[in-house]
Formats: sequence, C-alpha cells, structure tokens
Amino acid sequence: MKKSNNTKNSTDIRLLVQKFSVPLMFIIICAICIPLSGLSANMLINEIVTRIGRNAFLILSLLIPIMAGMGLNFGMTLGAMAAEIALIFVSDWQIVGIPGMVLAAIVSVPISVLLGIFCGKILNEAKGREMITSYIMSFFVNGIYQLVVLYLMGSIIPIKHGAIKLPRGYGIRNTVSLLSMRQKLDNLLAINVAGVKIPVLTFIIIALLCLFIVWFSRTKLGQDMRAVGQDMGVARDAGINVERTRIISIVMSTVLAGFGMIIYLQNMGNIATYSAHSQIGMFCIAALLVGGASVDRASIGNVFLGVILFHTMFIVAPKAGAAITGDSMIGEYFRVFVSYAVITIALVMYETNKRRAKSAAGQQLQAAQDAEEAAGKEKA
Amino acid sequence: MKNKRQLLFRIAAIVIILAVAAVMFVIGRGHTIYFDNKETSYNGQTVEAFYKVTVTTGEEKPSKLSKGDRGMTSIMGQTLSMTLEITDAEGEQPHAHKVSMKVPYGMDGITINIPALMAGLPQDAYLSEFVIEVPDTGATDEEIVTDEFDMGADM
Repeated sequence: MKKSNNTKNSTDIRLLVQKFSVPLMFIIICAICIPLSGLSANMLINEIVTRIGRNAFLILSLLIPIMAGMGLNFGMTLGAMAAEIALIFVSDWQIVGIPGMVLAAIVSVPISVLLGIFCGKILNEAKGREMITSYIMSFFVNGIYQLVVLYLMGSIIPIKHGAIKLPRGYGIRNTVSLLSMRQKLDNLLAINVAGVKIPVLTFIIIALLCLFIVWFSRTKLGQDMRAVGQDMGVARDAGINVERTRIISIVMSTVLAGFGMIIYLQNMGNIATYSAHSQIGMFCIAALLVGGASVDRASIGNVFLGVILFHTMFIVAPKAGAAITGDSMIGEYFRVFVSYAVITIALVMYETNKRRAKSAAGQQLQAAQDAEEAAGKEKA
Repeated sequence: MKNKRQLLFRIAAIVIILAVAAVMFVIGRGHTIYFDNKETSYNGQTVEAFYKVTVTTGEEKPSKLSKGDRGMTSIMGQTLSMTLEITDAEGEQPHAHKVSMKVPYGMDGITINIPALMAGLPQDAYLSEFVIEVPDTGATDEEIVTDEFDMGADM
C-alpha cells in the first residue's frame, strides 16, 4: 500500500514537473543569471515592475482567443499596427498627455475591429491551422501597413507636421516621438516604495482588464467561447454560431492588443514606425508560454508569471552574457534564441499531447470494440 | 422591439464615444508657448523690454528672462495661465501679475511678447504663430528600415 502511495506521489511530481517544465526552466535560468548579471535587487525589481506595466495588457489580450480554441493569436500584431496608426494621427493633431492616449485608443478601435473581422473570417476558413494562418496574416497586413504609412500618409491621408513626415513630403519617419505622452499614464498616481516606482494607474487598468476577462468568461458569450474551444461540432449542435463566436474573440483580442500597444508605446516614449509591432506578437506569446500556458489553456496567473520570468531573463541575460563571455551580444542572442525556442517547444508539446490523446482515445475505442466482439461471441 | 432597443443602445454608445473623442480634442490640444521679453513696435508705438521677467506656468520650472531673452513652455488645453514677476529696472522690486488667456486652437507654436501684453496692446500685437521649420539636412530622404526580422529588438 505504502509502495503504491510512493509510486503515485512520484508520478504526481513527475507530471507536475512535466506540466511546469517551461516555467521551471526559466526559474533556473534566472537563478543562474541574476547573480552573474551583477544588477542590484532594487534595479532589477524596478525594471521588472516597469515591464509588467508595459507588457501585461498586451499579453492579456491573448487569453480570449485561447478561450475560443483558436490558439495563440499571432494576429495581435494587427491591433498593434492599428494603435500605431492612431498614435501617428494623434501626434500630428498635437493631442498630448492622457487625452492623447484616450483619443488614440478611440481612433484605434474601428481600425482594430475591421482588421479583427478580416482576420477572424480568414481564420474561420483555416480551422485547426489558426496559429500559422494568423502568423502569416500579420506579415500580409504589415505589408498593407507599410503601404499606408510609407506612401499614403502625407500624400493622400493628410499629415501636417514636418517632424513626422519624411523629407520627401510623404511617408512617416522611422521614429515618431511620443515625448508629449511619455509615461504620462505611468507617472499619474505613481508611488515610490523603497526606491521602486509603482505605476499605480497602469496597474489599475491592467487589474480592470483581468476583472473584465474573469467576468466575460462567465457571461453567455464567454461560455459559448469555451464551448467552441472545447468542441466546435458539439457547440454547433447546441445552437451556438461557431463562426461568429470565433470572429468576436479575434476582434476582442485585436482591440485589446491595440490598447495594450498604446500603453506599451507611452511607456517607451516613441514609435519605431516600421518595426515596433513586428516582434510584439512573438515576445508576448513567448512570455505567456514561459508562464506555463499552453496553446489550448492559459490563465491570468500564466500572464503575470510569464511577464516576470521572461522579462527577468530579458533584463539579466545581456549582463550575464557579458560577465560569462565578455560579449553582451551573446546575452542578446541568447534571449532571442530562448524566445523562439520556448514557442517551438510549446507547439511541439501541444502537438505531441494532442496526438497522444488521439491515440489513447483510439486505443480505448479499439479495446471497447474488442470487448464487445468478445461478449458477442460468448453469447453466440 | 429587442432589436430596436439594441440599435438604440449601439447608437448611444457610438455618440458617447464620439463625444469623448471631441472632448479629448479640446482638452488635450498641446501648444508650445514661447515668451519674448523683447522691445516691440505696434502702430508706431514702441514698447520697451523689461529688465527681468520670471514666467511661471503650472508646475514647470520658472523661465527667467532678461532683456531680449526668449523662454519656452508646453501647455495642454486652450487656456494659458501664468504668473509674471516683472522687474522694470535694475535694483527695483519685482511686481507679480497673474495672467490667464485663451490660446488659438489652430496654432501649435505661439509667441507671446510680454512687454506688449503688459502694455495692454491688442492680441495681434503680442501674440503670433511660431512655425518650426524642419532643418533641411540636405538628404533627399531617410533610409527606411522595415526589417521584420529585427532579431535584436528589445521589449
């Protein structure tokens, strides 16, 4: 009996380690890198708190499509592009500070909704291949974004200020300054605790989004999304409009990603017009996976654990790399390598588990059929 | 009936959002204000610059302007409120004035000539638009970087 208990315990631990292998790996990496980096605890905590405020909203926007069974929404980049376009307009209109951010959020909504509907419709045509489709979609829309920003703005779309426009008279410069709204949200109501700046208002907004997600998952639409995520066929039989529900989840994710990008960029203080959005999806997804989420299951806890672990690695890796090899670029390469590696591992693990589950279900069915046949023969 | 109510709610939501956007346009409009303590002429009347002027707007660091100096501040919204501490001549005691004025919505940069303002001259004598000219660097264009595989991007 005791032996059986011990075996059960060791199996439980093994399963637990297997389940949280990615966060555990990152905890070990951080534990090694933090002392090597030589960063003070105060500075490290300051950086982590800043990055939680900067990134958490963006990562939270990924939860709703996962709820609807659409996997990791690489199409969140579309929302980021909508936010950038809105911020370019707001900068040109010279609306500054928090009102500028609110206006940018309002302007970004219709763009995000249109892009979200477009993305959702295409993803409905590619069921079961949503992640790769949304990933490629982000490249496609990036091309359109570049066309709009590089050629149409200033020529067809009115842009007044020379500081934003390229010297040739149309197109937007590589960098647009957001100095007039830099950290306005973070500094409003900010408090200082033992030398650590806490952006209270940003955290309140993030907390409100968390509450919204919890509330939303309990609404009729949220339950429909869960049902669609679990089994589309059963959901359809239950009278749920599967396609519409999936489109709504992508639209919500895109709009929230747009808001998240505005929070992100106000913290940075400038827009890298042609590259700010390109890596955002990748890093947000990597952070979520580092937090222990998977393609079909993610929670608010995964978001925060992921931000802390992933960004701790981001902060300490270059310094640790410099301390070990004398070249900080090694740390840079390491953190980029880890970002992509963690996504790859998560996708491989998801596919393996799915196949295992399918194979186990097949075996179970076979066993049931065999038993039925045997029972039939016995009767005969 | 339900559809009609839903439509009404949607229209109301859109109207509220548009109203919020309109309010943001007004209260969030940023202006750069340049203060001049310079001699000026208007309709043949010459106004001398003050010996020293200290301009305080909001919580920003005060601008201390000697004769011929220019100061700068940024404001949000359509009202400029400032406190002027004016010293007419060397050795004299400064006298303070609180000034509040509306600024034109369409102007990004506004130059205010303080001696003309304090002399009670009309608005076109003390207020003018300041247009920033983007320096011509000689380059016909800047290189655009659209590399989506920018591997070193930091978060």
